[in-house]
Amino acid sequence: MALDKYERVWLTAVGGLIGSFMAALMVAYLIFDIRLPTFEARVDPANLNSTMFADLGVKKRGENKYDVVMLAKMWVFDAGKDGGNPGVPPVIRVPRGSRVTFYVTSLDVTHGVYVEDHSINLEIVPGQIARQSIPFNRPGEFRIICNQYCGAAHQGMYGTIVVE
Amino acid sequence: MQLTQSQPKSFQVNTTSVTMLNNERWLVGLHILSAFFALFWGALMGPFQTFHRSPAFVAAFPNATMPIFSYYYQALTAHGVLNALFFTTMFITGISYYVTWRSFDRPLVGMPLAWVAYALELIGLVILFFVLLNDPQRSAVLFTFYPPLIAPPLFYIGLVLLVVGSWLGLLVVFLTYGAWRKENKAARIPLAPFAVMANYVMYFLASLGVAVEVLVLALPASLGLIQNTDPQLSRALFWFFGHPVVYFWLIPAYVSWYTMLPMQAGAKRVFSEPLAKIAFLMLMIFSVPTGLHHMFADPGISSTWKAIHTVFTLMVAVPSFMTAFNIGATLEIAGRNRGGKGLFGWMFTQKWSDPVVAAQLMGMLQFITGGITGLINASAQINTVVHNTSWVPAHFHQTVGGAVAMTYIGIMYWLLPMIRGRALYSKKMALAQVYTWGFGMTMFGHTLGEAGLAGVPRRTLSGLSPYLSEAATYWLNANAISGVILLVSLILLYANIVLTLFASKEPVTEGGYTVTKGDPTTPAILERWGLWIGVAVVLAALVWTVPFIDSINLTEGFQILRYSPAGPVPLK
Ligand code: HEM
Ligand SMILES: [Cu+2]
Ligand SMILES: [Cu+2]
Repeated sequence: MALDKYERVWLTAVGGLIGSFMAALMVAYLIFDIRLPTFEARVDPANLNSTMFADLGVKKRGENKYDVVMLAKMWVFDAGKDGGNPGVPPVIRVPRGSRVTFYVTSLDVTHGVYVEDHSINLEIVPGQIARQSIPFNRPGEFRIICNQYCGAAHQGMYGTIVVE
Repeated sequence: MQLTQSQPKSFQVNTTSVTMLNNERWLVGLHILSAFFALFWGALMGPFQTFHRSPAFVAAFPNATMPIFSYYYQALTAHGVLNALFFTTMFITGISYYVTWRSFDRPLVGMPLAWVAYALELIGLVILFFVLLNDPQRSAVLFTFYPPLIAPPLFYIGLVLLVVGSWLGLLVVFLTYGAWRKENKAARIPLAPFAVMANYVMYFLASLGVAVEVLVLALPASLGLIQNTDPQLSRALFWFFGHPVVYFWLIPAYVSWYTMLPMQAGAKRVFSEPLAKIAFLMLMIFSVPTGLHHMFADPGISSTWKAIHTVFTLMVAVPSFMTAFNIGATLEIAGRNRGGKGLFGWMFTQKWSDPVVAAQLMGMLQFITGGITGLINASAQINTVVHNTSWVPAHFHQTVGGAVAMTYIGIMYWLLPMIRGRALYSKKMALAQVYTWGFGMTMFGHTLGEAGLAGVPRRTLSGLSPYLSEAATYWLNANAISGVILLVSLILLYANIVLTLFASKEPVTEGGYTVTKGDPTTPAILERWGLWIGVAVVLAALVWTVPFIDSINLTEGFQILRYSPAGPVPLK
């Protein structure tokens, strides 16, 4: 079984390419600290009242640091009083330049959280708390979109985050 | 660049144009026709999905419904189930029988089993049609059926029958191999059945995940035997199966590229056969330890395990790069045989006007974009930008909707005439179909991909979404235009099939190609199945045990109730 000359060149190039992909991912992970969502905590959807989800909304945690505690359910996001009237797509506000940590879980089926133009993308799996933290540096209105199919009215499930 | 084939001169290639035996014709023929029957209803939904996802269409026709499966998510469930599960599996079962029979040059062992397999798959198909039409609201759980969404029991029973049928097909292939091995103790396995066997090993291992999910979690919940679901564990079990299954669809297309296309295109055989076998073994081993790349955004899985699966995901791209070289080199030889000169001349002397060859070449061109977007998706952090956006269906319509579907269609263009005993009704129509599909799918991918980058979610009736940006609206409307082109392509495809079956008068000229001998220079170690199966199983166990244990929720005593897609009230 002899390898053709060009084949050897190609395989070396492929090895180099895949190797550099892996290196790039490692650099992003270890040096730039861009992490994927990881195991946070479990929560019983039938017992949310004794958890952090008893108190939904935008919480100031420090200088330019905010937590957004949100509940996803068929077919609205619930951000408590901070989101406006219950049952309609919530509008939440954070100051520009703040680092926002989202804590989201689901009351019923699987949902998603995606924020326009920002690197946050979470599956909201019942029984699990999804957490991700990102900076909001540009002012504007950005949609929070449910991007996992959650039943008949999934296409209308969204919210808005206003960066002031 | 001048290429030379690496096989020794003394090696004889046995290339035959076969006429089919009667029982073989019925067995293979019914599989292929049933597969294309499933694809018809499934793929027909596709263009209408693009229409209903387009705000301009919904504004113009606010009362329009989908055809047959009238409710959007019911239609999307049908599209996923019929195309991705039934079309592929039934086609693969049929073509695997054909390849095994012809390449081992002996009848299948276990014909009755093969027919039972067909019957199970067919009954599964009928059941899925029934449940989707009969109970549209509750059965609209999409082809991934993530709990807590729970469909009626028949939904799962139909899928179980499909999988059990495909397992029996696997058994027939391996029984036939065993018989051939007894008769050919020292021979090397011909490349085509080697790939079929590698494919089935990988598929069997992977399907254990979804089998456990359905039999232990989803079906009992659907029957009301258990009240609670375990969403995170279900997702892990599903993706243990869900990623390898895309390679299960792809490998038969590779079989055609490696073992049929060379002769169809005008080369004697594939450039390097031992390398091809290594590629198939790599696919078999590295497909299963990758599934967490579908769960990068999941909360209940540690990011360390996500990173480990990313490494194997990148590894499993290597056999596809090897394939690109091997097939590229083979096509270069074919193009030069046909008079192509210079560095690029051989590309222009391909049989661009032969539908069988053109379909596969178009499929390969789409696989370039499909492969590159796949590497993008696999790059864990970049995945955050595209996960669950319409970028994802844009990607896999280049791979499964492009390369795989086009190659299966290309195979059908020679196999159906052989089965029917009449020539293809119209080559022109077939060519028009191939190029409209190629163009339409490329445009589909571009527009839907851009929409995804503009924030459009996948699996969404976006024509009604109140949150679309201007860019998103623009790209969704453009996507509907590609839907029109693909609808034309579908009509051309099925008109040709029906006319070939019932109106073609010309004698059959199409023939299948089979190589009945394996390359004798293949190292013997490549054919030690026990060894490679062992490696695959151990690797799968190593990278999946901890994610499985980490995902289990049932033991917490949580109440995660069952829901139907129809509304927020738990099922009783
Ligand atoms: C005839 C051309 C086709 C068109 C126009 C088309 C269109 C579409 C569209 C627009 C979606 C996304 C819907 C959404 O996310 O809301 C979709 C999803 C999908 N398509 Fe196609 N498709 C076609 C052919 C195929 C073929 C041939 C296959 C596979 C063999 C396929 C497999 C799938 C799968 C698996 C999904 C995902 C379903 C889900 O997310 O649950 N499609 N298709
Ligand atoms: Cu949703
Ligand atoms: Cu995958």
